[in-house]
Amino acid sequence: MTEEQPQATHHLTASELSIAPNIADQSIEPAQAATHPFNRRHLLGGAVSVAATMTALSAPAPINAQTTPAAEQTATPAMRSAQPSVDAAAGTTPTLPSLAVIALNRMGFGPRPGDLDAFNALGNTPEAALAVYVEQQLNPASIDDSTCDTILAGYQFQTLNKSLAQLWADHVTAPMIPYDVRQLPVRETEKATLLKAVYSKRQLQEVLADFWFNHFNIQGWDYWAAPVFVHYDRDVIRGNMLGNFRQMLGAVAQSPAMLYFLDNQSNSGGNPNENYARELFELHTMGSENYLGVVPLTVGANGGFEHPGPKDANGRPLLYVDDDVYGATTCFTGWRINTDTGLFAFDSAAHFPYQKLVLGQAIPASQGIKDGNDVLDILAHHSGTAHFICRKLCRRLIGDNPPESVIQAAAAVFSANVDAPDQLKQVTRTILLSTEFRTTWGEKIKRPLEYVVSLLRAAQADFKPDDSFLWFTSLMGQRLYSWQPPNGYPDFKTTWSSTMPMLQRWRVCNWLLNSWTYGGTEANKDQLRISFTNPPTLKKSTDLVDGWSMALLGRLLPDNERQPVVDFMADGRNPTSDLPDKEIEDRLAFMIGLIFMAPSFQWR
Amino acid sequence: MNKLSRRGFMVGCSTAIAAMAGGRLSYVAFGSPAEEPNQDILVVVFLRGGMDGLSTVFPIAGDDRGFYEQSRENIAIPVSGANAALGLSDQFGLHPSGAAFLDLYQAKKLAIVHAAGLTSDTRSHFDAQQYIELGTPGSKSSTSGWLTRHLHSAGNLPAQIIMPAMATGNLSPTSLVGSNETIGMTNPNDFTFGGQWFYGSRQQAALRKMYAGDSWLHSAGVETLNAMDVVSSANPGNYTPGNGAVYPGGSFGDNLKTVAQMVKLQLGLRVATVDLGGWDTHEYQGDQGTGYFANQFGQLTNGLNALFTDLSNANGTDHTQRLTIVVMSEFGRTFKQNASRGTDHGHGNVMFVLGGQVNGGQVYGQWPGLSTDQLYDHRDLQITTDYRRVLSEILIRRLGNPKLGTVFPNYTNYAPLGLVQGADLTPDYANSSPTPTPTPLVTPTPGGTIPSSNASVYLPFVQR
Repeated sequence: MTEEQPQATHHLTASELSIAPNIADQSIEPAQAATHPFNRRHLLGGAVSVAATMTALSAPAPINAQTTPAAEQTATPAMRSAQPSVDAAAGTTPTLPSLAVIALNRMGFGPRPGDLDAFNALGNTPEAALAVYVEQQLNPASIDDSTCDTILAGYQFQTLNKSLAQLWADHVTAPMIPYDVRQLPVRETEKATLLKAVYSKRQLQEVLADFWFNHFNIQGWDYWAAPVFVHYDRDVIRGNMLGNFRQMLGAVAQSPAMLYFLDNQSNSGGNPNENYARELFELHTMGSENYLGVVPLTVGANGGFEHPGPKDANGRPLLYVDDDVYGATTCFTGWRINTDTGLFAFDSAAHFPYQKLVLGQAIPASQGIKDGNDVLDILAHHSGTAHFICRKLCRRLIGDNPPESVIQAAAAVFSANVDAPDQLKQVTRTILLSTEFRTTWGEKIKRPLEYVVSLLRAAQADFKPDDSFLWFTSLMGQRLYSWQPPNGYPDFKTTWSSTMPMLQRWRVCNWLLNSWTYGGTEANKDQLRISFTNPPTLKKSTDLVDGWSMALLGRLLPDNERQPVVDFMADGRNPTSDLPDKEIEDRLAFMIGLIFMAPSFQWR
Repeated sequence: MNKLSRRGFMVGCSTAIAAMAGGRLSYVAFGSPAEEPNQDILVVVFLRGGMDGLSTVFPIAGDDRGFYEQSRENIAIPVSGANAALGLSDQFGLHPSGAAFLDLYQAKKLAIVHAAGLTSDTRSHFDAQQYIELGTPGSKSSTSGWLTRHLHSAGNLPAQIIMPAMATGNLSPTSLVGSNETIGMTNPNDFTFGGQWFYGSRQQAALRKMYAGDSWLHSAGVETLNAMDVVSSANPGNYTPGNGAVYPGGSFGDNLKTVAQMVKLQLGLRVATVDLGGWDTHEYQGDQGTGYFANQFGQLTNGLNALFTDLSNANGTDHTQRLTIVVMSEFGRTFKQNASRGTDHGHGNVMFVLGGQVNGGQVYGQWPGLSTDQLYDHRDLQITTDYRRVLSEILIRRLGNPKLGTVFPNYTNYAPLGLVQGADLTPDYANSSPTPTPTPLVTPTPGGTIPSSNASVYLPFVQR
């Protein structure tokens, strides 16, 4: 009966089209919209059936949702006992899932069918498997990623392999550059990054690239950032994120994208611009948790300046004040871009040459470019930086309020290896192999981007980042490279659980499963949809829900989520009797949608 | 733990909306604004990034004019010529792109408070925004925003409201953290489930059962389902602004339009927030009253003028009579321009209060002067009016909520500036909401703990 209804397919409204004019040619004609999306399937070579790899179905699917795996029964969520949270007393706080589920949702954008089995096959125990998996992921080059590489190659991206000088020549200084050519590097990076999030086996690399980009956030569509964006993402962020923090800091400081974004390009001795120096302290290194505020230096008994606030054992200030920002500002005067080549240059004429004071340390006169490097050294070695960086990493990889124990452990590794070429790899490893990583759950939900990518992965969607998809990521509040302030997208549940982002995750699920065509405007575009094939063995409502839960979530839904989905599927029939094939076909995608919209699919 | 008695207005949780059950609201629940007491609506417009108040309202005469022109050689707003300041008084001028504000000022609907702001010693965007919006200067530990605590402590609101608060935009601001009565949305047309025609409503029904738990995520899900019911029941449809009001294009204008639409639907809206970003003008903010800043300020003033016009005498009801709009930013900017003809993070700033009950046409506050000795830290405009003083006057005189100790803990010695009309209730400085600690809640809020750093919600609406 659904086929007769013109409303059957939600399509873009006029207002949506006015926001995203580029997708107008992909809107669905009413005649075609009348076609139920799921009655023509598998005509497209690329469409993959989830059922083909539904691991749960090779073994008997547990029917009773209360039958929980042993791992879930014995594990104790340390975070919840170590630190009281709002979840602690909640009756519907999720139980700890298997380590495979934890690892693949935190170290990546969620499992594709088969990933959980592959993880478990890596070791005799989940912990052993995790150790192997972490080593693989920390050495991304060791992972065969040819499938993803092939997909990327199909897009024939033009800018992703260009050097900085080449980007500058082609997209900044060439005569009469059209706007879309100037923007091409960021647009291609956005698409490539989404494709890698969906397809790459080097999932930790994608999670870390997102983390570190947001840590050193720039607005990617900015006039000056866009043409050099490939360099920023590829060389500055990805090139250092498993390396050394001080190296990364230097690469950021000398990148044209950041020099323009935080205005250091115009910071000069005669008239300083403190924008970069302030965010260097507050966002890139020590963090506002180590900011004492506008508190002046005083003159001490010996006539020298006294830094206010607490000091460490060596007498060095633990907290920074505005005078430190000003001192650092003058240190970075003259850090410039050569506007002919796009490469970093030091302009000694614009540099303030006299002595400066930063965090109680004198920066001698006439050092030139070394002033700025000294500041980066001081900050990269500061204990406040170690803690701030590790707290943020733990927040990303573990939970909003990660236990202090794991932060301390990671910070100790950060500081002990502060000059090591693989410092950040060691820090990341420490966090991923911590007890806290393995034993906590339910403090965090996927952000919109993680949600939509995990859905595409679980559904094995033949994903193409078309303009309508990109527009939807804006509506969800997390379009890549589009956060304007320098602090990056928020990483706290308070931000992402208000009504608009909550609603948009359900809405995007409906859109992807019911309306989305990923193939543009061809005659057969109605075939270009996410499709699901139900294995013939699954006929009872309970089996359908449990089988697909295992396939999509790697676990069963808890009872209070499972029952409404079973009832939806049974539609008044006995949930443990076989459903007619036609009804399964009619409702399957909507049942799967409910699993994607369930609380269980949100946690990470 | 939040010990406030939570009122009955979790989003949509009223018998009115429950009775509708997906039908169409008939406006029975909320009659004409004249008949319902305490119907005032507060709209908080937050300018993210640190708005340069000395480019919006600035001296046009006297010694301070001399200092101003000296310190802002290129970016000073001229007093004569093509882009001359609009005169507010003998002392102050308004940015030339703010003609839409001058009209409201002359009509005595717009009041200006200068040298106002957050007195905490911080020049961090993110700290300053959090302090202001949590209502707890110097502390980031609160689990609720000041607007949330107002909604929870106001004793004069009806027991049940369909839509007490709205945050326009993709993400909700910190001032409404911990509020489970707030609907966040960009516009009602995007605020739909988007489900398949037959199964969509069944999915929603199933989700309501699936999210019937007591974790913060389950609460968030139920609030969202309720909010969807509210919006779809109100059947917003297409919206045509009243009185020929023309909103500026872009998110800011769209969000203001959504506010007007929701006000007119009479769902009981009491608090709405709108953000406008893009004020962090470290570079080339515009010389001589032109350029980037002029566009920004034009967008702000044209947008608010449109909102005011739209809500004036709509179908015989003048909604502006119960409307108060306050415009604020996290801090002002340095008095002296920098080498890139921009300004860096500063301190004191201007605030605007606009509404039907505003004693407008006047610049309020004590002007601290602009000689170097008179500047904060020898570089920024001093603060002589705590931002909480302005908001407290609106709370008491317009919203009838004297519980200052709850909304702004540790704030005392309130005295009205006389910005708005209304009765002076005795301030209650007792804090009925002691500094919360993250203990389990019986009714969890979507929040929980406010993280120790970088938790600001900072919305990028306008490209620099």
